[in-house]
Amino acid sequence: MVTETNNTKYSKSTRELITTTTIAPKKVTLIVMILSVLSILGIIGIVLKILNGFEDKSAWGYYAATISFLLTTAGAAPMVAIAPTIAKADWVRPITRIASLFSVVGIVTAIASIPLIFALPPLIVDETRRRSIWFEATNYSPHVWFALSIFGLTLCGLGLLYSSSIPDLAAMRDHGTGWRKRLGKSLSRGFIGTDRQWKSLKMRIGMMGTFYFLLLMFVNFLFSVDFALSLVAGWKDAIFPMYHAMTSLQSGIAICILTMFFARKYWGMENYIKIPQFWALSKLQLATTVLWFYFFYSAFIVFWYGRSASDQMVINLLIIGPYLPVFLGAFFLEFFVPWWILVWNPVRKSIPALAIVACLVLIGVLLDRIRIFVISWSTYSNEVIHKKFVPEENFPQFMAPSVADIIVFIGLVSLSALIFILSTRILPLVSVWETHQSLLLTKVVKYVRTHVTAIGKPD
Amino acid sequence: MSKKSILGLFDTPDQGADALDGLHNAGFESHECDVLTGTPYPEGTFGEHVPQHRLFRFPLFGAIVGLTLSIFLTTATQIAYPLVTGGKPILSIFAMLIIMYEMTMLSAVVTTVVGIIFESRLPKFNIGAYDTRITEGLIGVVVNCKEEEDLSKAKKVFSDCGALETKEA
Amino acid sequence: MQQRRKLDQKQINQELLSGNLKTPKWYIPTMIFLGFFVVTGFATILYMFNTGLGVTGLGRPVYWGLFITTFVFWVGISHAGIMISAILRLTQAEWRRPVTRAAELLTVFSLLTALFFPLMHAGRPWRIAYWLLPYDFSRGIWPNIRSPLFWDPIAIGTYLTGSTLFLYVALIPDLAVLRDRTTGWQKVMYTVLALGWRGNPRQWLLQTVAGILLSALMLPIFVSVHSIVSWDFAITPSVEGWHSTIFAPYFVIGAVHSGVSAVVTMMALMRWLWKWNNHIRPEHFDALARLLIVVATAWLGCTFLELIFSVYGREAPEIALREMQIFTWPWNLLFIIFLFTGYIIPVGFWIFKKARNNIVIMFWTSILVNVGMWLERFLIVVPGLARKQPFTFTWEAYTPSLVEWYIMIWSFAWVSFLMLLFARFFPLIPLFETKESQVFTSETKIGRATVPVIYREDD
Repeated sequence: MVTETNNTKYSKSTRELITTTTIAPKKVTLIVMILSVLSILGIIGIVLKILNGFEDKSAWGYYAATISFLLTTAGAAPMVAIAPTIAKADWVRPITRIASLFSVVGIVTAIASIPLIFALPPLIVDETRRRSIWFEATNYSPHVWFALSIFGLTLCGLGLLYSSSIPDLAAMRDHGTGWRKRLGKSLSRGFIGTDRQWKSLKMRIGMMGTFYFLLLMFVNFLFSVDFALSLVAGWKDAIFPMYHAMTSLQSGIAICILTMFFARKYWGMENYIKIPQFWALSKLQLATTVLWFYFFYSAFIVFWYGRSASDQMVINLLIIGPYLPVFLGAFFLEFFVPWWILVWNPVRKSIPALAIVACLVLIGVLLDRIRIFVISWSTYSNEVIHKKFVPEENFPQFMAPSVADIIVFIGLVSLSALIFILSTRILPLVSVWETHQSLLLTKVVKYVRTHVTAIGKPD
Repeated sequence: MSKKSILGLFDTPDQGADALDGLHNAGFESHECDVLTGTPYPEGTFGEHVPQHRLFRFPLFGAIVGLTLSIFLTTATQIAYPLVTGGKPILSIFAMLIIMYEMTMLSAVVTTVVGIIFESRLPKFNIGAYDTRITEGLIGVVVNCKEEEDLSKAKKVFSDCGALETKEA
Repeated sequence: MQQRRKLDQKQINQELLSGNLKTPKWYIPTMIFLGFFVVTGFATILYMFNTGLGVTGLGRPVYWGLFITTFVFWVGISHAGIMISAILRLTQAEWRRPVTRAAELLTVFSLLTALFFPLMHAGRPWRIAYWLLPYDFSRGIWPNIRSPLFWDPIAIGTYLTGSTLFLYVALIPDLAVLRDRTTGWQKVMYTVLALGWRGNPRQWLLQTVAGILLSALMLPIFVSVHSIVSWDFAITPSVEGWHSTIFAPYFVIGAVHSGVSAVVTMMALMRWLWKWNNHIRPEHFDALARLLIVVATAWLGCTFLELIFSVYGREAPEIALREMQIFTWPWNLLFIIFLFTGYIIPVGFWIFKKARNNIVIMFWTSILVNVGMWLERFLIVVPGLARKQPFTFTWEAYTPSLVEWYIMIWSFAWVSFLMLLFARFFPLIPLFETKESQVFTSETKIGRATVPVIYREDD
């Protein structure tokens, strides 16, 4: 009887995974066509908004919410690869590629944020410097620093994706055909798997991962403060950047879970992405869900007890004000419902249930972003910004998204999805070299009368 | 003959597993046999029946009790002795939430610990057939015998599987 | 990083029970030394009760000084237990095993000590009974549910109860080992406490499930406790520097920082005093130091956010406070010491692998961290109070009296005394966890390399 040797398992997985870049399931082709059309419409929507000008800040509220949604969702997704890899978790290997592929969406986020940077008011308004974290810095400091940081984040993300894909590009050079073979040859830069190359690769992934995390926190800090908090007079909330970063992690985990679900369904990755990956991510999803409430409550209780005019303004404007239904939607979908679903062990082992929870979380995050950014941009005015707090008569009315806002949102999300799917034509959704690592280091062995999984820990 | 138990002491897990297999082949039921070790082994290592437990019900029950008590405590006392502080409403859910949360968790933890002790079938100070060398690495296989011939059957199985010693209780 | 040592159970029993079956030579002199401070400390407390709070340096407007600083400090130290025990247990980190019990013990005793401080701070603590305990009839006043000063004992009591029960449940198998190795009154004591433990599969399964379930239950409590302590300060709008939304996560992350550092100090002492070189190895310090770098950096980020948002509002009193805290003698010196000892010096050492594996360096840097963290709490509590009422007729700088300093020293001696008392009768390193690691770890050869392996059961 011929038993499957390691060599056979490795070559089988290599062939299977490389092949996924060449074969496109019918449904995916149709989806790509639809996404392309929607993306073009979205770009047209953005152009129309730019042509309408930047004077009316309230017109940019939903745009800001969209950018925040993309930034927090796709920007945080690579953390699902980075953090467990640094913690040397073995379960993350099949999903690192999915997580790090989201960094290509950073290109969309970075470019789409340019109009918003133009819309952001300068530090000096009506010859008076408004309150900000930039204190006495130059007038366009928020604009410049945010632009630098978001493009830096995108480049770092792409660098991380590239570094972690080099061995797979080498595999494509060796096993691919046509333009993929040529692309693999040029991008793999002579990678042949020497000991030194592997050590250098792992070191680069570790360093870029750490740097990406720090940059992500910095971008979240700048975006949340400059594009929301500092536009509302009297809104002083030190936890808000952390809240924004934490909800970003929450949505990043959710988008990874959803993509893993689709990868199994449409890309045939059932043999690679299995229950242990969903089980591990579901625990993180539960933790971030509960943390949402913790961060929200930590801010709320300080305002509620403070009872000063600005404290009460924050609650009346941002929570129980004109956007109360939106807040309640966010509360239920980001916290209450996912918490009660994820608390049960059997649910956390059910892939469809986790995909549904991920969808709910994503909708909840979107509603939360709408609440924060639409209110901020609608509240801002040159007359009110220097006051100690926003008087109730200046509270904005509820503003539904315009047709342009809806088209822009759908367009940008479609463009992000499109660019992600197109990336899978170059890189397989599951990393080949990490799969080989799993095969090498993980084995089911007999232990007296039972079986256990033996996991090698060379680090 | 009153119920007696006999303990076989083995050097390695494989011998212990062989002894358990031998006992099953000799006609002993799963609930009559037990394995004693000084350290946890993976479930099913000795081919034993994997025990079922209902531990997860305890924290759930405790949490419900704790939550109910805390709602009662915070609500009833504030309505009975209303004292306005800082302009805040008498029944302010945001403040009550913290007491409710802590009491819920405390109750859940306490009932979980009670559940752990209960589900472990403790306390049970009459530990029956036992040897202190089990906590030094020896594997103990215990079987409860109703008849005298069961005792000799068990002894034979233990000696066939290389028991270092057998003890009766 | 895991270097496997093959130890049989008998050897583990001998090494880890060496302090329980026989009194070490250094034990009695150390206990006498600590006992001196404990007894004289209690005498000082009684003197203070008898004479009144006037023997302290407290006065208008600084009513919270050294006692409250030390209270917050000890609550912070208590966060070590759950961080190490619960989080590392849930993430299945093998290297946690030698330190879980000592960390949980530190939690219990530091919480107990922390509880002393608000009680003695009342001056006449027996009068707290009617304020704290919900018994009726006393002047028609019920404890104020809306006060964080009421939340504190509830939260700390919950955490203390939970930690004690967690400690006890995990101790049961080791009590059985001691029951089997002792005679006389000690055997009776261990027999009663062990509850008849035999070590059958049911009991071991429940130990494992208990560890995970209790960890999952204790984690939210751990986050809530120090958050509630932080809200003693944060919800007050009347003291500059306190009314900040970030206090809750800031205090929690600071607590983890100081708690884990205290565990490092304790590990070094355990290794030196009981000669546990086989069990507490340089790689444990290495792993903890790497965790501490992440935690310390997150803490520094929170410190930065707290400072930047305090002056964000550009309110004169707040700016004046920060100027005093950072630029005015003696606060500026304390601020610099706090920054250097809390972050710059320790992390400066920890980024080097050689330093992380050097136990002497780890010992001293961990002590430095706690000096810095104590100062952090002092700098939060006192300066804001010192400036509380700008036009008050008494506006004195606060100088702690000898009584306060001595009671603070008493608290350190008291915690150490209790820890050593426990260590005389119960093993500080969990025996069954150490033995479990021998069963669940192994080695395998991949080519010429020997790779450590861990066995994992399917969930």
